[in-house]
Amino acid sequence: MSAATLSTGVSTGEISPKLGYAATLLIAALWMVPFIWMLVAAFNPESIGAGMASLVPSYIPTLANFHEAWASADFPRYGLNTLIITLGILAVQIVTITLAGYAFARLEFPGRTLCFYLFLLQLMLAPVVLIVPNLTTIAKLGLYDSLMGVMAPYFASAFGTFLMRQAFRAIPRELEDAALIDGASVFQRIGFIYLPLAKPSLVAFSIVSVTAHWNEFLWPLMVINSPDLRPLTVGLASFTRGAEGAQAWGVIAAGTLLVSAPLLIAFALFQRAFVNSFVSSGIK
Amino acid sequence: MTTTRRSLLAGAAFATSFALSPAFAQAPTEIELFFPVPVDGQLARDMAALIKEFNTAHPAIKATPVYTGSYDETLIKTRAAMKAGKPPAAVIMSANFLLDLKIEGEIQSMDALIKADGKSNDQFMGQFFDALHGNAVLDRQVYGVPFHNSTPLLYVNTDHLKEAGLDPDKLPANWEELVTTAKKLTKREGDRVTRWGMMMPSNYDYGGWILQALTHSNGGQWFNVDYGGEVYYDTPSMLGALTFWSDLVSRHKVHPAGVQAGGAVSSAFLSGQASMMLLSTGSLTHIRNNAKFPYKVAFVPKNVKNEVPIGGASLVIPAGVEGERRKAAWTLINWMTAPEKSGWWSRATGYFAPNKAAYDLPEMKEFLAKNPDAGIAVSQLAFAKPWFATYKTVPVRKAIEDELAAVLSAKKTPKEALVAAQKQADEIMRPYVEQTALKLPTN
Amino acid sequence: MAQAVFTANEAREWSAPRWRPRRSTVLAFAMLAPSLLFLALFTYWPVVQVLWQSFHGQIRVGGPQAYVGFDNFLKLFADPAFRKALANNLVYALGTVIPSLVLALGFAMALARSSRVNALFRALFFLPVLIPLVAAASIFLFLFLPNVGLLDYHLAKLAISGPNWLGDPDIALWSIMALTIWKNAGYYMLFFLAGLQAVPADAYEAAILDGAGPWQRLRYVTLPYLKPTIGFVLVIGLLNVVTQVDHVFVLTKGGPSDSTNLLLFYVYQQAVENYDAGRAAAGTLVMLALLLVVTASSLRTLERSFGEKDA
Repeated sequence: MSAATLSTGVSTGEISPKLGYAATLLIAALWMVPFIWMLVAAFNPESIGAGMASLVPSYIPTLANFHEAWASADFPRYGLNTLIITLGILAVQIVTITLAGYAFARLEFPGRTLCFYLFLLQLMLAPVVLIVPNLTTIAKLGLYDSLMGVMAPYFASAFGTFLMRQAFRAIPRELEDAALIDGASVFQRIGFIYLPLAKPSLVAFSIVSVTAHWNEFLWPLMVINSPDLRPLTVGLASFTRGAEGAQAWGVIAAGTLLVSAPLLIAFALFQRAFVNSFVSSGIK
Repeated sequence: MTTTRRSLLAGAAFATSFALSPAFAQAPTEIELFFPVPVDGQLARDMAALIKEFNTAHPAIKATPVYTGSYDETLIKTRAAMKAGKPPAAVIMSANFLLDLKIEGEIQSMDALIKADGKSNDQFMGQFFDALHGNAVLDRQVYGVPFHNSTPLLYVNTDHLKEAGLDPDKLPANWEELVTTAKKLTKREGDRVTRWGMMMPSNYDYGGWILQALTHSNGGQWFNVDYGGEVYYDTPSMLGALTFWSDLVSRHKVHPAGVQAGGAVSSAFLSGQASMMLLSTGSLTHIRNNAKFPYKVAFVPKNVKNEVPIGGASLVIPAGVEGERRKAAWTLINWMTAPEKSGWWSRATGYFAPNKAAYDLPEMKEFLAKNPDAGIAVSQLAFAKPWFATYKTVPVRKAIEDELAAVLSAKKTPKEALVAAQKQADEIMRPYVEQTALKLPTN
Repeated sequence: MAQAVFTANEAREWSAPRWRPRRSTVLAFAMLAPSLLFLALFTYWPVVQVLWQSFHGQIRVGGPQAYVGFDNFLKLFADPAFRKALANNLVYALGTVIPSLVLALGFAMALARSSRVNALFRALFFLPVLIPLVAAASIFLFLFLPNVGLLDYHLAKLAISGPNWLGDPDIALWSIMALTIWKNAGYYMLFFLAGLQAVPADAYEAAILDGAGPWQRLRYVTLPYLKPTIGFVLVIGLLNVVTQVDHVFVLTKGGPSDSTNLLLFYVYQQAVENYDAGRAAAGTLVMLALLLVVTASSLRTLERSFGEKDA
């Protein structure tokens, strides 16, 4: 469905004249500069000094910066915490957005428009603004200084709900009606008809959700006290955000690479599937 | 220094294995210490080692060090945790936030704890350098215990001095010498400057502190030390200080224009693109470990007199910490600020040790003999004054820092800037002034 | 809603006794309940608190919160820093959303055809999205570092002295905008890649037969088909402009002289630095009102994108 449509778009190549294509490649090179610097700086035996800005390695690569970064934080544990947080949020989100998405897509009920706007409100609210009241709520629920406390505010997702709703609407009703005649319950219908067909949307949503929560900094910094519960970004910040004085750029580059590597590798491995899911998720 | 740190780490690890034995089975009092990372990641590890050592020595207490970001983020996290009803037992708090926290009733006086130890406030504070008292003792009550402190310091690349035909042992001591030296050290290729003679950080927080140092060196005051509702922005001494900085940029062209962040200044110095800089003593260890050239440090050059503000952080106990937790926090605070630990932390960071007795210890004497630059930082303390702290310190400081940025970018004259800053600061402090100094009997 | 298809299933339920809630209503709310519960706890309840706070403040220094009427709003609009932040946000919105949009569209059109090389380049443009903003900002801190940084180092080789990227009030906002565009363009590109799938191939073939050049095809074929996508990306972009300011925290803290201060950062400053919860709440409400205007004016786009109304 996805890859096929992409490659059979016969004349899509026509939209991009050669000049545009060349310009795009040129911009891509520009886009890569920060990454190239990060790589070059991370393996530099130096960490500070005049030569740090070079984009061409002129040294014998060492792992010294990685050593320093690795020793600064308990990365395996932080990585595990980040994994628990992102996957935990995603797992609950998939349940909530599937149910709510189905309700919006297929059910008729009074107050539906109101509910739509209530959900829409979440799209507009930056979590940063709500940190203080949310922290109070988390503490009242007894979730302060726990991974659950980091996750809870994200369990509902308006974006995901709307995405699923749209995916479900694109699925022909006849399929569901047929299942209905066979006596399938609503949850069976969702599980066996809707979810499999909405897979591209689910994958697209997963990318957005995992990326967002993998990279989150301020909220976990506020909720978590115990060193054992820190996610990667907070561990990274302990050496990139010194309050006074200087930065060791090589170590920062190495640490950034360490923290971003899992996502970068995952994306590199599955990028075609990722992009194609996104493309055919039908967000338009 | 590295060996000291290593052995301490090893010692701590060794000792912890004992602490885990079932002999200490009864539940210890659990406390948290919020700490910002002032310089680099190494220190976060050092802090963990330090607390481990404390826990081993005090089996009845289990302290957890909680990294809380920058100084500002530490303040947010502390306030947020208090609002959530979970105040940390102790916090390493930027020293100039204390007055504000006290006015808002968010930190507690330590007088009762000092009294219970059988000391008077004066006896207790007597162990710390006099210059540190102003930011810790408020209304004659002790609200903070100095943990690590700093002053601004002049750093000079002596290779550059030699190269310019100047005496590497004679560093600029006054503003006149600073300008002539900086002019000789600045290198140009056509209109383009390839090396700056002088750099000073002017980002938020740092800029105000450096401007305070220049103002003090010019015989001035920044604020009313005894009353949190007055600042002296629109004064001749401050005008001289700000004009001097602005002249370095636009008249003498030895200092880059616009705002320079602290990290940018030290990076330029370490890479040889700036020959002199004013920076915190807190960066001393970082510079010592990373400079690939000989450098020297000196007092902040004066125009009228040698005088600088202190910087750094103090240990505080938030309001709402009571009973056993308060006692445990007090034990931790005293342990961390005792001479040995204070001295060790000083050697690791470059901050000076607030506890005077730290400098009588043999390891400290040996360290100072090896690193005379650290000694100069300490001797400048005799000329140090409290850091500015008013009602709403940060916005009051920002009022002048925004104007400083405008002056350094040639958008305003120093006089215009100071008038505007004074007006804005007065406006911010007005509610406090109206409820204190201007609250008069009406009938 | 009104236009929604009336199925046999629902027709059956229609005839159920009036006094009982319809089965689908019960089912719908049961399905919405988990989401609504979390939204209530972490979205609606905090908004109620912000509303309450915006009419309260400290009358006595260090004292409790008391009702102050519209004081917070009056002070807010009297504050030049707030007006500056408002103006900056406008420049920032125009200066990031439009270039990101144009670039994203360009990338998507150039890379629409599925091939190994194109897949690689799509990935390249998407990489910035995957980096934590705290980390990206640290890297850009070095990029913009005066004298020794990546930009100045290479400019110096060309004998050009670079400006003070983050320290000059005239330039700092543009530097921040560059980071925003770098971080977001790849994200928006994905939406356009999706949108391009909706353009039927024969529309192009017909245009080519009519002798339309590349620009004409863009103007008369591609853009009309992409209208919903453009609308959607525009809204997402505008929401991002207001709700994402982490890089301002790391790079400039709103300085120099408030030249990079944005609304959300201003609110944060009021809450944390100025410790004026009332004014922060008032600022939040103003921001919320602006977002509501953005959302309301593009409601049709959003509804169409999220399928509330059929296009």
